[in-house]
Amino acid sequence: MKTKFKQIFEKLYAQKDKLWLVIWLGGLLLVWGWNLLFLNRPALQRIETGFINSFMIALLVLVFSLALSWITVNSLLLPHRWLRTLFVFLLNILRSIPQIVGILFGYVGITLLLQQGKLQSTFTVLVLMAIVVSLFVFQELVDLMRERVRHFHKSDFYQAMLVRGIAESRIINYDILWMNSRVHIFNKLIAIFGVAIFLQCSVDFIISIGLSTTLSSIDLPVTLGTLLANIDSKQDILAIGNSLMHPSYISKIFFEHLQGVTVAFLIVFSLLSIYKIANGFTERFKL
Amino acid sequence: MRRRLTEHLLSILVITLLAAGVFWYLRAQNEQKPTPAEKQLGPLLELPFAEYDDPFHTALLRDLLDLYRPGRSAENDSLLSLLLKTREQKLVKELTRSHLQQKLTWPKLGQLSLMYGQFIWVYVLVLFLTYYGVQTVAVMRFVRKKQERESYLYALWQLLSAKPFSGGAQKTLKAVRQAVSLLIKAALRGLLYFILFSPAYVIAYSLRTRIDTDTVFFMIVLGVFSNGLLINYANKFYTFLVSESRKGYVLTAMVKNLSTDYSHHKKRGIPYRAIFALRKHFGAHVFQHIFINSRYQYLATFKEQASFLITGLIIIEMALNIHGHLGYELLQQLLYQNYEIVLVIILFIFYLVKLTEMATDWFIERLARVYENKI
Amino acid sequence: MNRHFQIEIKTGSRTLAAIDDYPIAGGAITFIFGESGIGKSLLAKAVYGLLDPAALSVEINGASYQKYLKSRLLKNMKKEGFFVFQEPSSHLNPLLKLGEQLSEGSLKDAGDGQGILRHLFDTKDDTYLQSLLDIYPLPYRPSGGEKQRLLLTMAFKRLNEYLKSDIPADNSLFVFDEPSGSLDDQTRNRFIRLLINIFYRKPFTCLFITHDYSIIGEIFRHYRELLPFIRFKELVRSEAGLLMRDFAPTDYLDWLKNTRAVKDKPTQLKGQKNQNLITIRNPFRVYDHDFYFHKPDKPDEPKPFRLNRGEMVYLKAPSGLGKTTLAKIIMGLQRAQKLDMILLGKKINENTPPAFWRREIWGKKAGMVFQHADEALNLQATVGSVFDGLPLKRKLNTKDKIDLLNTLFRGEVSANFLGKRIGLLSGGQKQRLNLLPTLALDTDLIVLDEPLNGLDFASIKKIIAIIRSKQSEGKGLLLISHNEEIFDSLVSREHIYRLNVYDATS
Repeated sequence: MKTKFKQIFEKLYAQKDKLWLVIWLGGLLLVWGWNLLFLNRPALQRIETGFINSFMIALLVLVFSLALSWITVNSLLLPHRWLRTLFVFLLNILRSIPQIVGILFGYVGITLLLQQGKLQSTFTVLVLMAIVVSLFVFQELVDLMRERVRHFHKSDFYQAMLVRGIAESRIINYDILWMNSRVHIFNKLIAIFGVAIFLQCSVDFIISIGLSTTLSSIDLPVTLGTLLANIDSKQDILAIGNSLMHPSYISKIFFEHLQGVTVAFLIVFSLLSIYKIANGFTERFKL
Repeated sequence: MRRRLTEHLLSILVITLLAAGVFWYLRAQNEQKPTPAEKQLGPLLELPFAEYDDPFHTALLRDLLDLYRPGRSAENDSLLSLLLKTREQKLVKELTRSHLQQKLTWPKLGQLSLMYGQFIWVYVLVLFLTYYGVQTVAVMRFVRKKQERESYLYALWQLLSAKPFSGGAQKTLKAVRQAVSLLIKAALRGLLYFILFSPAYVIAYSLRTRIDTDTVFFMIVLGVFSNGLLINYANKFYTFLVSESRKGYVLTAMVKNLSTDYSHHKKRGIPYRAIFALRKHFGAHVFQHIFINSRYQYLATFKEQASFLITGLIIIEMALNIHGHLGYELLQQLLYQNYEIVLVIILFIFYLVKLTEMATDWFIERLARVYENKI
Repeated sequence: MNRHFQIEIKTGSRTLAAIDDYPIAGGAITFIFGESGIGKSLLAKAVYGLLDPAALSVEINGASYQKYLKSRLLKNMKKEGFFVFQEPSSHLNPLLKLGEQLSEGSLKDAGDGQGILRHLFDTKDDTYLQSLLDIYPLPYRPSGGEKQRLLLTMAFKRLNEYLKSDIPADNSLFVFDEPSGSLDDQTRNRFIRLLINIFYRKPFTCLFITHDYSIIGEIFRHYRELLPFIRFKELVRSEAGLLMRDFAPTDYLDWLKNTRAVKDKPTQLKGQKNQNLITIRNPFRVYDHDFYFHKPDKPDEPKPFRLNRGEMVYLKAPSGLGKTTLAKIIMGLQRAQKLDMILLGKKINENTPPAFWRREIWGKKAGMVFQHADEALNLQATVGSVFDGLPLKRKLNTKDKIDLLNTLFRGEVSANFLGKRIGLLSGGQKQRLNLLPTLALDTDLIVLDEPLNGLDFASIKKIIAIIRSKQSEGKGLLLISHNEEIFDSLVSREHIYRLNVYDATS
């Protein structure tokens, strides 16, 4: 039994992406269990909703980023050169807008729509939030896809297929992107997942603390970012600083300041784990 | 280069024109446009002699309306109540927004420029620090990997797997000391990782009760160490080091008997001095080949890093509510719906990104020309 | 003294190469043949201590690689030795000037190498050589051949140092991995002459890995007296793993003799005889240079290039001059600055849009087989899927695919073969598979760029047989190869052209 456990651990240690996936999920489960025991029900429910919403948005970001990137890469196959140039030009402009500014404005737009009563369902709001984030992160994926296509373009691969009469769209979409780049794309999606969580939490946090007087943050679905900006959570985080000077206070943090500490932990621990998973994946597939 | 420069300048022009268009549109919108009610009431709102707060004046107006519009008593009543309501709304609106609403004036532009200047120097400083930090952290990590050092937790696992507590008391004590030391090291490393991955506001709020977090110094520290910037780009650089180390020219360097020793304290190794130096050079070591090629590749990601840094700085300024800083100003002006000023700040930020892109492109192009034997 | 190594190289649970006896003859030159990808380079790198023990699990003579890396034997071999790698482009640092690369590490105190450079570049023009050393290596300049010679110069600098030392021949190890892959025959012969001249002065231990069987002819013609110090070996796959067996040079020489005997017999074609497939008038211009064709022995008499149905035409040129570029121009993959060509009855010039080839040529009337099978094939795809997406009149079923595979893989096509990932095939299998989609298209014109690249002798014979059968079917074949000995024996003189550039002759 002991040897088997040792074998499993050694195997996991050699595949760091899987190891960190286990650590991440295990950590989340542990925190949930702790909260179940020591956090009041309404607060726990809020954290659960915030967590689910945040990760739902991040997952939707992946879907939209993938779709946008695929459309973009295929649009660059357009026969008219000026159309391609225009497309790349517009993409570069979009790239020059700092992500946080773009997303902030997108969110302000969504909030205004909410205030005007044009958005009713929470899911629609989540989808819109994901679209906004995708618009400012999908270029990373486009860059990767274009880089992969360029790589095969430089080698004989592309031309060898062309002279066999194989359609260009098949070469790019099937042979290059699907057959030879899906691992790279998946790896990039992991990284985008992390970026999406970071940006989304940051914007939600900023909106909640900065714009809440005119744009009601209550209208937006609860996410980890909005929960962190919540006054109770802020008090909880401030308590961490307090414990630096009074170490005896540390024990209280895990019982009395659980909401804020949990939310902050979920954000940071998830970002760290996703980074480690992406790294392990890169190492395992020698990308 | 000319093509790239043209593209940059063209995008600056397009965005500036677009912003100018939006600016004039906003200006036109902001001109006191009457609401439908105000339009309906027309000159009644502006009667110079009427003081509607005075019940006598109100009653007088009611009588006048009946006199000039006889037989429409109910209609006159509703007109009067609309007039009073609209006046009140207008007054409240003016009172609540007068001290918050700002237009773009020359003094305001001057004030924004000062904030912009401060933002730029913080940005440049953090950019320089992260440029150095990214390379140093990545080189350190690569060298440690080459030294075949395992993680502290894995070392602990190996120590425990070797059944260290079954020997004598002295042996057990040594093992316990080792285990504790490894555990502390692992915990410290974990803590460091948590800090490096924390969004700036989490760190700032954690320390707010102990440190004055509203200083520029603290902002620079956060800019370098938080938001995952340093660790993510160090990881990118590390990936370049790993992929370059697998290339053929490294083998050629090896067969020329260049050093492959990665220990810190040997003559032909990689000393700490070289790793932490501002201008890194590793002498007659294979790693010198790997390093210069990785650094060249890293330059291509510099634009992306700069853009992410700007995002990080804005987040820090906004989330920390640091008064008198560009990010905070942007948030405030957005809150008070002073879109003209918001537009100018965004344009400022866009110009900074573009300037960085142009400078990076110019530098990379220049280097590329050297390596393509064109200079 | 002969050394014997038992080597096992693994990644994870997969064995990359395992051999019970890898012999290295001390004080002798060992030529190692064998198909590409079989493990020749990997084994040589393992012996020379160049593998990364963190990435691969390596055992030598039953001991760990770390232990081998610290052994005195290896330290001695590396001290007085060198390893010239194949693919010269990737083995030079792109961010370091060539001159610096020629004088760092153990090359620092080994002289300036000017004499070696003069010999290998066949020039006395030191200004040209200096200008070459003053630049950074780019992907296309200096050319592959020039880079290869610079890497060889490094080895010769070490050999000169070895000559001065009192190190016994057994303790030295010089490995040349495909050193002539980017060299034309004349340059290759100059390199071999220099190598053997040094060997005459003081023997050393040398491993010479190559696919270039024509070296055998060169050795037998000029250095027969050295044969007692030369070993010809072939690395092959056996049921027990890899096997290094003796290669009989006479097998190759006899085959060559027989090939010559049946050289390029004209085919009997009904009705279509002499139908022209390609005509290119001189000169054509690309990369700001004017190129022209001539017969091999008459460089001053430009001659238009012609290829008719049922003919095979062999195009020669020094490495890096532009043979592949010409093939790409013919196939519409690259645009010339000036061109006057008739391709399958259509007049083509430099302004002809690429859409023409897409519409009328690619996969319909002409096909091209690229030189590097590893690049030209989708390594992630399966063997069976190599025919998918081709513009055929009807979709091929499994039986059709098996039939096609049998033309080049007779005896190897099992049920699992169709589903095997191409990346897992041996180099020779990939090179053969690389031909198949083009053969399936059954086009009138077939361009073959270095079709013998990376093949073992058995595969070479198979490919030559296929080329011949296609010719007899009435196809027009344009053959591009630096393997002059084989193709000179295959193609009649009237169908051999040499590509040249005006600037170079002037």
